[in-house]
Amino acid sequence: MISTNSTGEPALRIENLDKYYGTFHALRGINLSVKRGEKIVVCGPSGSGKSTMIRCINRLEQHNGGRIVVLGTELNDDVGNIDEIRREVGMVFQHFNLFPHMTVLENCVISSMIVRKQPRAQAEATARRYLEKVRIPEQALKYPSQLSGGQQQRVAIARALCMQPQIMLFDEPTSALDPEMVSEVLDVMVTLASEGMTMICVTHEMGFARRVADRVLFMDGGEILEEAPPDEFFTSSATSAPDNSCRRCWAIDWKQRSECVTPHAFRHLHD
Amino acid sequence: MVSLLRNQKVHNALLQVLYVGSIAAMVLAGIVIARRNLADQGITSGFDFLFKSTGWDVNFSLLPATANDPYWWYFLIGIINTLFLGSVGLILATIVGTIVGLARTSSNDLARLLGRTYVDIFRNIPLILQVFFWYAIITHLPTPRSAHEAWGFLLTSRGLYIPFPNVGSAAFAAATVAVIAAIVLPAWLGRTSRLAQPIGQRHTIQFAAAAAALACSAIILALGRLPDTPLLDFPALQGLNLRGGLRIPPEFATLAIAIAIYGGSYIAEIVRGGFKSVGTGQVEAALSLGLSPWRVFTLVRLPLALRAMLPILANQYVWLMKATTMGIAVGLTDFFMIVALTINHSGQTLEAIGILMAGFLAINLSLAAVFNRINKAIALKGNQLRG
Amino acid sequence: MEMVLVAPPAPGRLEDLKRRFFATPLQAVVSLACLTIMVFLVWKLLNWAVFSAVFTTSGGPEACQAAAGACWSVIAARWRIIFFGLYPYEEQWRSALACVAVVVMTVLSCIPAFWTGRRIALVWGAGTGLFYVLMKGGVLGLAHVGEEAWGGLALTLFIFVTTCLIGFPLAICLALLRRSELPWISRTTGLIIDGVRSLPLISILFTFAVVLPFALPQWLQGDKLYRVILGSALFFSAYQAEIVRGGMQGVATGQEEAAMALGMRYWQRISRILLPQAMRNAMPATINQFVISFKETSLVVIVGFFEILASGNAAYGTGEWRFAYVEVYAFIAFIYFIFVFSLSRYGAFLERRMSVSER
Repeated sequence: MISTNSTGEPALRIENLDKYYGTFHALRGINLSVKRGEKIVVCGPSGSGKSTMIRCINRLEQHNGGRIVVLGTELNDDVGNIDEIRREVGMVFQHFNLFPHMTVLENCVISSMIVRKQPRAQAEATARRYLEKVRIPEQALKYPSQLSGGQQQRVAIARALCMQPQIMLFDEPTSALDPEMVSEVLDVMVTLASEGMTMICVTHEMGFARRVADRVLFMDGGEILEEAPPDEFFTSSATSAPDNSCRRCWAIDWKQRSECVTPHAFRHLHD
Repeated sequence: MVSLLRNQKVHNALLQVLYVGSIAAMVLAGIVIARRNLADQGITSGFDFLFKSTGWDVNFSLLPATANDPYWWYFLIGIINTLFLGSVGLILATIVGTIVGLARTSSNDLARLLGRTYVDIFRNIPLILQVFFWYAIITHLPTPRSAHEAWGFLLTSRGLYIPFPNVGSAAFAAATVAVIAAIVLPAWLGRTSRLAQPIGQRHTIQFAAAAAALACSAIILALGRLPDTPLLDFPALQGLNLRGGLRIPPEFATLAIAIAIYGGSYIAEIVRGGFKSVGTGQVEAALSLGLSPWRVFTLVRLPLALRAMLPILANQYVWLMKATTMGIAVGLTDFFMIVALTINHSGQTLEAIGILMAGFLAINLSLAAVFNRINKAIALKGNQLRG
Repeated sequence: MEMVLVAPPAPGRLEDLKRRFFATPLQAVVSLACLTIMVFLVWKLLNWAVFSAVFTTSGGPEACQAAAGACWSVIAARWRIIFFGLYPYEEQWRSALACVAVVVMTVLSCIPAFWTGRRIALVWGAGTGLFYVLMKGGVLGLAHVGEEAWGGLALTLFIFVTTCLIGFPLAICLALLRRSELPWISRTTGLIIDGVRSLPLISILFTFAVVLPFALPQWLQGDKLYRVILGSALFFSAYQAEIVRGGMQGVATGQEEAAMALGMRYWQRISRILLPQAMRNAMPATINQFVISFKETSLVVIVGFFEILASGNAAYGTGEWRFAYVEVYAFIAFIYFIFVFSLSRYGAFLERRMSVSER
């Protein structure tokens, strides 16, 4: 059983994680430890392995080497462990992945009802509470296709929260959204962060990273190249792999570009 | 033990072994039981029976057949009958289907209505019922003495009699090959990689090739003509029976007609779908280049539609090939009926079923292979825009 | 300057007709040819089927045979055998009621409100159960009638319904097994599906009816009718499995990932997320498969069942109605046509509606 009150064990511990797609080495010896309540933002160019890494955490991808320990339970071939971990880890996808044949409310209650075996009334009460929290209680009886992208992503967050997870993973939650809808989703995520949720977000939204993250990771080529608190990350131009000059350029370039992006989309976050 | 079962890898391996194992066990058990049951009836399993003579006759065969022939020869006859009936059915169905399909895409409301009525009627009545119907019609035709006659063709309850050239069988086969060459050769030449000439010259070369092949066929027929006979042999009444010409048995005629009509209704829909898939943009572009409507059809609409319909058409052909097994309903000795008769007469049940499966697998796979080649040959190169 | 507005002449009937059918000489020829064919066929058909036809049995077969047109008296005289086969005369109302139950069941399952796994299973379970009880009897004071006495339309419908009832769940299982991540399971299933699909249905029916008894222990053989239904269900499921698999491929991979991330187990993901969406995608093709399968039910006549086609053969085959084969076949064709045509029209309607809603 996953222990919920042990304070010594970090929420997530990744040691020497390796992942191959055929012969392609997607993740190279990743090490990461995330404390409870900590907020991590992962950034990096596309194909750098950041999505693969967080998808390994709830076994949407199977890792080939190293260890992943989530909430004190090791993610290995034990089917029971996988089920337990998935129940405690919520995930939000780039393309929302809402179930189109169910209403918003049904999307939110289904997993509580069939995975946690809650009675419908209780599950619906929880769902309505979280829909309130993501500010769309009035859409409960609509179908996903009737909502805007931003609304759909907020439903997806509510759906993940309904399982009352201890860790939330975000896989580029705003990349598929029209620019004017990005902020409504980020607002929800900021609120969630302020309530002490353990969060790992893959995102390019550097304003969000500055505001919320405890640490920012920069990944490229399947490795974590830099790991620092946001202030340090955005001011320093040194990377943890100084020998690899080319990659360092990448990182600097990345940060500079993100500087440009920040004020435009996140002015409200700095207010 | 429990923790071992919860291990994903062990779990997966176990599932696979269990699934494949239980299916293999079921098949094996069936074979073992069947062999014992058959042995009890005094039937030894094995393929020795293939070389024994059958002792029964086939009612339709392209190859010489007597009751003394061994089983393997009969199986061969069956396969050839199936392929022959299938090919005749396919060709007729394609002709019917193309005509009806074109009617369905025509701009003329009356033609469309006619085509649609045809498709709606013949698609929605089971093939076997149509086979029974045509068989009843043909077997209720008048006897040879009072046969319907038209242009040398005789319709009787004993079959259809058609005029036939007076040539030896070898010469006839060679002439048939030449006619097929007349169709295939221009298509083969038409592929851009083979001829570098501009389109106009290419058409001349294709036309010349077809004409040459047809001429060859005519020469073969003339040379192979049986001495002291007219070129064409017309069926005629002699005494109580008909002599001369070629007799198409009622069973064969029934199936060919039924497959042509039923298959035609399906092919018509495929043809219609193919033409519908050609975007109006391409047609408008061709018209705006000043091409005549006929040229637009042959150079733009037809080639594009053909590419769209070929994969579906291939499936339909495989289906029609399998539909020849309806032969057993009217007693035509196709491959399946020969297998069924073999089981009845020799009791070699397992072997015969095995041969049946292998035979149809081979027919299906070779049809699929042919169509894959054609598909690849005519596929649009690169990522040219479609539709 | 003075402008006179002249309204364009309203296109008259004749103008319209001319534009539509006689725009060019070629058009005119095609139109006239089609018109001639149509008028000729319709006149011939009406003349044969209605104007010169005999409808009553009063004159007996002789008067009927003498008539120039169709002899519908054969239907009036033999309709019971066509619909009910050799079912006992006094009990034939049960057979009729059973057929009505199947028709009602089919109509109900065409209504979208019934398209959830549980409801459709309920409708089909209840419909088939009702059919079986009515036909077989032995309970509720109904006299027992064994399967060997079933025949005609009722038998055709029974074989069709049971084929679907067994074949459909089997198809879903096969489709799931084929898309399994475990290579040996998916390969073996693929082999089974492709093997069955490469064989003609007749050979499968023949194998199940005639050959299978050799390969089964005595206690497993069962009735020939049920063996043939199993064979036909296997054939149906091999085709339907590919349709279901196609529907599953139309469901975005993210759907299953989201379900996994929410902690759903395999069966929960399949039954709640994958199948409802896949079946919706596969709906038009599925109805098409039902149509094909209904037509193919008629093939059981070859392995010796007294279904509607065989009973039709019997209706004209014996005694004084020998000449009336065209009428009997036309009647049976008409029955098939009503079932198949309405079902395929419904399929086409559904396809149109779905392609509109996708836009």
